[in-house]
Amino acid sequence: MKFVIEKISKSSGRLGYLVQTETEKRFRTPLLVQTTKGGSIPYLSREVFDYVTEEVPALQFTLSTIDHMVESLKLFNGTFGAYVGYPECLSLLIIRDSCELIPSGHNDKDIIPLFTRRGKEHITVKRYMDTVETLKPDIYQGLCDADTNLESSKKRIIKCVDRTAQFMDACYERHQNSKVLKKCALFAPIVGGYSTHARCESIKHAKAKGEKLANGYIFEGFHNYGLSACQVDSEQLIKVMTHCLNELSDDKPKMMPGAYTPPVMLELISLGVDIFDTSYAYCAASNFKALTFNFNLKTVENATSQPFLEISNESLKEDFTPLIRDCSCLTCRKHTRAYLNHLYKTKELLGPILLMIHNLHHMMHFFSTICKCIADDNLPDLIKLIKFQRGSLAVDYSIKPNTKIISKNDQDKNYTILNDDQK
Amino acid sequence: MTTKVPPLTYKVIAECSVTKARAGLMTLRHGEVNTPVFMPVGTQGTLKGLLPDQLIELNCQILLGNTYHLGIRPGIETLQKAGGLHNFMGWPRNILTDSGGFQMVSLLKLAEIDENGVNFCSPFDNSECMLTPEHSIQIQNTIGADIMMQLDDVVKTTTVGPRVEEAMHRTIRWLDRCITAHARDDDQSLFPIVQGALDANLRKQCAYALIQRKVRGYAVGGLSGGESKHEFWRTVNLCTDLLPKEKPRYLMGVGFAADLVVCVALGIDMFDCVFPTRTARFGCALVNTGQLNLKNKKYEDDMRPIDEECECSTCRRYTRSYLHHIATSQSVSCSLLSIHNVAYQLRLMRSMREAILRDQFPQFVCDFMAKHFEGETVPLWIREALQAVNVELPHDENDATVNVA
Repeated sequence: MKFVIEKISKSSGRLGYLVQTETEKRFRTPLLVQTTKGGSIPYLSREVFDYVTEEVPALQFTLSTIDHMVESLKLFNGTFGAYVGYPECLSLLIIRDSCELIPSGHNDKDIIPLFTRRGKEHITVKRYMDTVETLKPDIYQGLCDADTNLESSKKRIIKCVDRTAQFMDACYERHQNSKVLKKCALFAPIVGGYSTHARCESIKHAKAKGEKLANGYIFEGFHNYGLSACQVDSEQLIKVMTHCLNELSDDKPKMMPGAYTPPVMLELISLGVDIFDTSYAYCAASNFKALTFNFNLKTVENATSQPFLEISNESLKEDFTPLIRDCSCLTCRKHTRAYLNHLYKTKELLGPILLMIHNLHHMMHFFSTICKCIADDNLPDLIKLIKFQRGSLAVDYSIKPNTKIISKNDQDKNYTILNDDQK
Repeated sequence: MTTKVPPLTYKVIAECSVTKARAGLMTLRHGEVNTPVFMPVGTQGTLKGLLPDQLIELNCQILLGNTYHLGIRPGIETLQKAGGLHNFMGWPRNILTDSGGFQMVSLLKLAEIDENGVNFCSPFDNSECMLTPEHSIQIQNTIGADIMMQLDDVVKTTTVGPRVEEAMHRTIRWLDRCITAHARDDDQSLFPIVQGALDANLRKQCAYALIQRKVRGYAVGGLSGGESKHEFWRTVNLCTDLLPKEKPRYLMGVGFAADLVVCVALGIDMFDCVFPTRTARFGCALVNTGQLNLKNKKYEDDMRPIDEECECSTCRRYTRSYLHHIATSQSVSCSLLSIHNVAYQLRLMRSMREAILRDQFPQFVCDFMAKHFEGETVPLWIREALQAVNVELPHDENDATVNVA
């Protein structure tokens, strides 16, 4: 993997691209990578994803959701991307499922806990690096303890920096000695909660040991993923990240997985973060929200926009308009708010599928707008639009949970659903 | 004034020279339907986990919707305002709706039937409601399906005695009320339902009465409800003998592969069943030899597609191994297996149709049964049903060994 910077401006982000080694395919940064569950984009088969975009995607595989298929992959003649239906994708391997809240604790000596569908698994450096060698992703993150958030104690923060340093010493050694991993780019983890001091220690280690070996950086430990990522204290986050990015050289890509809200992503992009994932789009879809925030700087109308549309809202029952007028996604071209509201009420699987199609489309277009704005030097205008949506107050982008779950039960026998509604 | 094209025209294109199978072309307001046809069930205005575009990609020409469910949600007012179900769900092709009666009787334990209609307790507020033939037609007129079903008096297939006869006669009386209530005969076709449980005499009486009415096709109802296969095929065979050749015949609720092949041979044109999509949700994939339960550990390292010969988007991209790992745990597996299973059903119907067109249907039946029951004995009822339409399945080795022993 090669990283090329095309344009850089200190206060207004940077443009560049990642180059996949074997195919020489380019992936523009700021890059939105598709987060996956069990190797698939949540709710979408490959066939359906092809309705969203014709572009070759960058996929973020999460070890906690694919750990159980690693053994099978050894017998498969092809890449992990091909195994999950995307032979041509750029693959990134991270450890945690950025879509879901991760339980705190369980950090024992020499292992990190991995919460998989088989329960809690213990990951050692050896086991982790064995897995990376099997999966051979284009990019993988180093093993780290990232179990911190705004409330973490000083002790926990110091512990996670120390443990990460230990894990990474072993990861670097293994990476250096492995023939297989020569083609894989390693992203060094930067941890340390909201302590600039701890983050600096983590960076110091990454620089000292990983200067030659690490091809990029991944920042974790600001939240516990899932919806907690869209509730981060953005001021604190930006303060710490500003400090971190000043300590790091420009030449390596920086990645921040998790469901950060659009305004927070923009702030981070203007600081120089290059790679994000689609977990915000997923979290919105799985909580029955369609993304509707406006990122079109050219719109003349002064009407304010809502960040999302609550599909559960009864007022949509007979609203036969698309989620967003003029949106070109399949959902908006072919379906109405009323239909999505119906699919919500009947707990039909097509509901989140259509929402995911729309939300991904929306986020992907948002990211192309970001790239355009950086090129045109007007990222600050976009930031303002996103923050205020043409209103006078900052818009709240955090996602509140909706507990209605699409049941996997036999829905043809409808009495189960009817009983639910009776409650 | 020019005469309007009727909302349903049906033409037999080819007849099998041995069995009663036929290939036809049914033209409805939302496009053509090649028969014999399998109609996937989209109960609540969606086929579980599939986009309309994907169904079109599979060349699905007609879907089934359930009146009972749609009447509750989104409700007829919303459907009226949406301009019917086609618009509401974004499905440009044909739809068939049932009458809602069957669901009431099967889903609601408290349903009671009298001459006026089906009495039931609303599942929402426990108030007493009634579904009359007029009401069912009114809802179906609003849904706007290309084919609608009459409200029938459903009794459990295995019921015997005067209740069966009463239900049969009532079904005919209700048909007349449905015909009278039907307000959109220029766009929608109402199918009556042959009832009479397993009683040949009652089935005959019913069929004769229905034939007197002006309708464009017929359904055979009250089967697939716990009767023996022996009784099942005889009743189907009797009904196809009784019903006119020039109109389509729909056998309700049948969809297992072997049943489809037998019933096509007996002269049925249309089928529906929830089985292919329901079994997909439990991690099962349909193949010629039956079904693969992909949850089974033996598929963990199986790098073949579900079916080497299948051209569906799932078989083109995914291995059994991957499907094993995500079956039932990732919702996308439900979409992937539903695509395959619907593709399987449609392909089976297409190959039967092609065999009929080439007049090689009996050979198709023999080949299919040999593969489907590979290593097993073909059930006696299938042999007998096929014998009734002049197809003698070759005796397999298992039988031979039994004979020798």
